[in-house]
Amino acid sequence: MYIPWTLKYKPKTLSEVIGNRAAIEKILGWIREWNRGIPKRRALFLHGPPGVGKTVTIEALANDLDMELIESNASDYRTADAVRRIAGRASEYSTLFGKRRLILFDELDGITGSADRGGVRIITEVARKTRCPLVLIANNAYDPRFSTLRRHCLMVEFKKPSKTEIVRHLKRICIHEGIEAEESALRFIAERSGGDVRSAVNDLQALAQGKRRLTYEDVSWLAGRDRKEAIFNVLRMIFYAKDAETSRRAVNMADVDPDMLFEWIYENLPHQIKDPKELAATMDALSKADIYRKRVRTTQDWSLISYFLDLMTAGVTVSWSRRARGWTPFKFPDRIRTLSSGKGERAILSAIGMKIRRRCHISSVRAIKEVIPYLKVIFQNNPEMARGLARWLDLDDSMVRYLSEKD
Amino acid sequence: MSYEMWTEKYRPKTLDEIVNQREIVERLKSFVEAKNVPHCIFAGPPGTGKTTAALCLAHDLYGEGYREYIMELNASDERGINVVRETVKTFARTRSIGEVSFKILILDEADNMTADAQQALRRTMERYTETARFILIANYSGKIIEPIQSRCAPFRFTYLPREDIVERIRYICKNENVEILDDGIDAILEISEGDLRKTINILQAAASVGKPINAEVVYSVVGRANPYDVREMIIRAMNGDFIGARDKLREMILKYGLAGSDIIRQVHREIFRLNIPDRWKVKLADVIGEIDYRLIQGSSEEIQLSALLAKLTEAGHEIKRGL
Repeated sequence: MYIPWTLKYKPKTLSEVIGNRAAIEKILGWIREWNRGIPKRRALFLHGPPGVGKTVTIEALANDLDMELIESNASDYRTADAVRRIAGRASEYSTLFGKRRLILFDELDGITGSADRGGVRIITEVARKTRCPLVLIANNAYDPRFSTLRRHCLMVEFKKPSKTEIVRHLKRICIHEGIEAEESALRFIAERSGGDVRSAVNDLQALAQGKRRLTYEDVSWLAGRDRKEAIFNVLRMIFYAKDAETSRRAVNMADVDPDMLFEWIYENLPHQIKDPKELAATMDALSKADIYRKRVRTTQDWSLISYFLDLMTAGVTVSWSRRARGWTPFKFPDRIRTLSSGKGERAILSAIGMKIRRRCHISSVRAIKEVIPYLKVIFQNNPEMARGLARWLDLDDSMVRYLSEKD
Repeated sequence: MSYEMWTEKYRPKTLDEIVNQREIVERLKSFVEAKNVPHCIFAGPPGTGKTTAALCLAHDLYGEGYREYIMELNASDERGINVVRETVKTFARTRSIGEVSFKILILDEADNMTADAQQALRRTMERYTETARFILIANYSGKIIEPIQSRCAPFRFTYLPREDIVERIRYICKNENVEILDDGIDAILEISEGDLRKTINILQAAASVGKPINAEVVYSVVGRANPYDVREMIIRAMNGDFIGARDKLREMILKYGLAGSDIIRQVHREIFRLNIPDRWKVKLADVIGEIDYRLIQGSSEEIQLSALLAKLTEAGHEIKRGL
C-alpha cells in the first residue's frame, strides 16, 4: 500500500518537529497558562508559509500533553452555525475520559466569503469567549479579514526551517527506508523546496522510493522546475477536478512551462486512469492537444495556445469518471529522464552505425536498425567471430564493450 | 568461418555474378558495352540487389579501381539541401580523366531526401550531365519528385524467388562450413520476407551460436535481435498492459531512433496478422489511418503513437468481452 512519507514521518512529539524552537516554547508557555485558569489571550494564532509544520506541531502538542484535539479544516464547511457547533461542543462538555480538549481551526485562509458566510466573525467571537484552548492556523495572518481576530489572539509565527535542518530530516527518512543518498542530492531537494518541508519530503519520495541509491544525477534534472504551487497539487486538480473550469484554472496555478506540464499529465495518465475506454478517450484528448501545440508552432500564433491547454486539462478531466480508487502517487515524467540518459547510448549507436556504413553500403540509420541487433547477438555468442568483425569494421574498445553487453 | 560481414563478403562484384533481376542486369550490361549510362532510378523492396547492381555496374564500367570514379551518398544520413549544394556539386562538376567521360554518383535511400533537396538535385543533374550520372536508389519511386523521375531511366527490382534465396543460403553455409537444417532455412525465409540482406544477417548471427542451425536457433537469435518488436508492443497493449506497451514504444523511439512513420507502418502490417475478428482489423485500420495522419499534424510522435496504443488497449478489452 502507498503511504505518503509526509504522513509516515510526521513528528509524533514536539521534540521531533523541525526547527522553530522559539515558537514552540511560546506555544508551551501559553498552554501552561491554561493550567492556572483562563489566560488573557484565549486563542493562539499560528501563522507562516505552507509546509513548515504548523499543523503537525499542534497535533504533536496534543499528543504530548494527552489532550483531545478537535479539528476543523478547509474541507469542512465553516458557516457560523458549523463553527458554533464545534466550539460549543468543545467548551460545554468534558470528554468521556476526562481528557482536556484543544480546539483547532486550520487553514483559515480557506474560509471563503460566500460559502462560509460569517465564519470569521463567529471564530472571533469564539476566540474571545472560549473556555478551552483554541488554536487558529493560517498562512497569511495579515489578511484584512483577520484584523479584528488578530487583536484577541496570541500571535506566533512559524518560520521556514533552514536548509541544513531539512537535509537532516531527509537523511533520517533515507536511513529508515534503506536508501543510500548522496548528500548533494538531498541538499538539492532541500534547496528547491524553498523551506517547505512537506514538499521536500514529497519530492524525496517521488524520486527515491523503491531505490537503493539516490544520486545527484537522479535529482538534478529537476533544476528547471519552478513552482508556485506544488506540481502534484496541480495534477490532482486536473485529474480529479469537479468540473472543466476548475481543471482549466489549474494551468494558471502551475508555474511550470505548459510543455512540461503536458509531460507530467501524459506520464501519469495511465497510472491514474485504468479503464481502457477512459484511457483511450483521455489519450485522444492529449493527442488533439498535441495537434494544437503544433499549430501554435507552425503559425506562431500564440493565441491558439489556449486550445492546447483546454484539451490537455479539461479534455482529460471530462473524459473519465474520476473515481479515485485509492491514492496512486504521481510520477515524474520518465520521458525526460530517458531522453537525457538515452543520449550516451544513442551516441555510441550512431558511432557504430557510421563504421558499418563505411563497409556495408547502407546508411548508419539503417545499420542501427538492421545490422547492430545481429552484431550484438554475434558479440555475445562468439568472441572469435566478434574479434574478427571488430577488426574488419574498425570498432574501438567502447564500441566492442557496448555490443558485448547484455541488455 | 570468416570474420567479416557476410553481406559484404557474398555481395556480387560484377554484373555477371548477379543471378537475379535478369532483365535489369541485361540492360545494365548494355550500358557498359556502350560506355554510356543514363541517370537511373533503382526502385524496389529492401534486400533485392539495388545497391549491389549499382556497384557492379560501376565495377564493370571502370574496372578494379572503380571506387575512384564513384561517390556513394546516403540520403538517410545526409538528407539536407546543403549536401546537394556542396558535396554533390563538387563531385559532379569535376571532370573525370579516363576512358569514360563521366563519374557516377550513387544516391542511396533517395526517397528519404527532403523535397527541397530533391529540387536542388534536379538542377544539378541537368547542369552536370556531361560529367556526372546519377543513380537514385529508393524503396518507393513515388517519393521521388516527378521532374527527377522524368529525367531518369526507371528500373523496378522485385523480390527474389524463394528457391534463389535457398540456394544462396546453402552456398554460404557450404563455404563457411556451417550446418543448416531444413526447418532452419524455412524459419529464416519466413522472417526475412524476401530481403536477402536480412536473410544473410540472420544467417550469420545464427551461425555465431556454434550449433547446427535449426528453427529454434533462428527464432532465438531473431527474438534477441529485435528488442524493438512492434508485434510485442501491440500484444502488450491489447492484453491491457498499456504502460508496458508505452515503455516498448519509448525504447524504439529513443534508443533505436525508429521514426514514427516506420513504427505505424509496421503496426498496420501486424494488425492484419493478428488473430482477431476481421471486422476489428478494419476498425483498427481506420484508427491507425487517423493516427498516421495525426503524426504529421502533431508535434510529438510518441504522444500520437501512445494514443494509438490506448486505442489498441481499448480494442483488446472489447474483443475479450466478445464485442
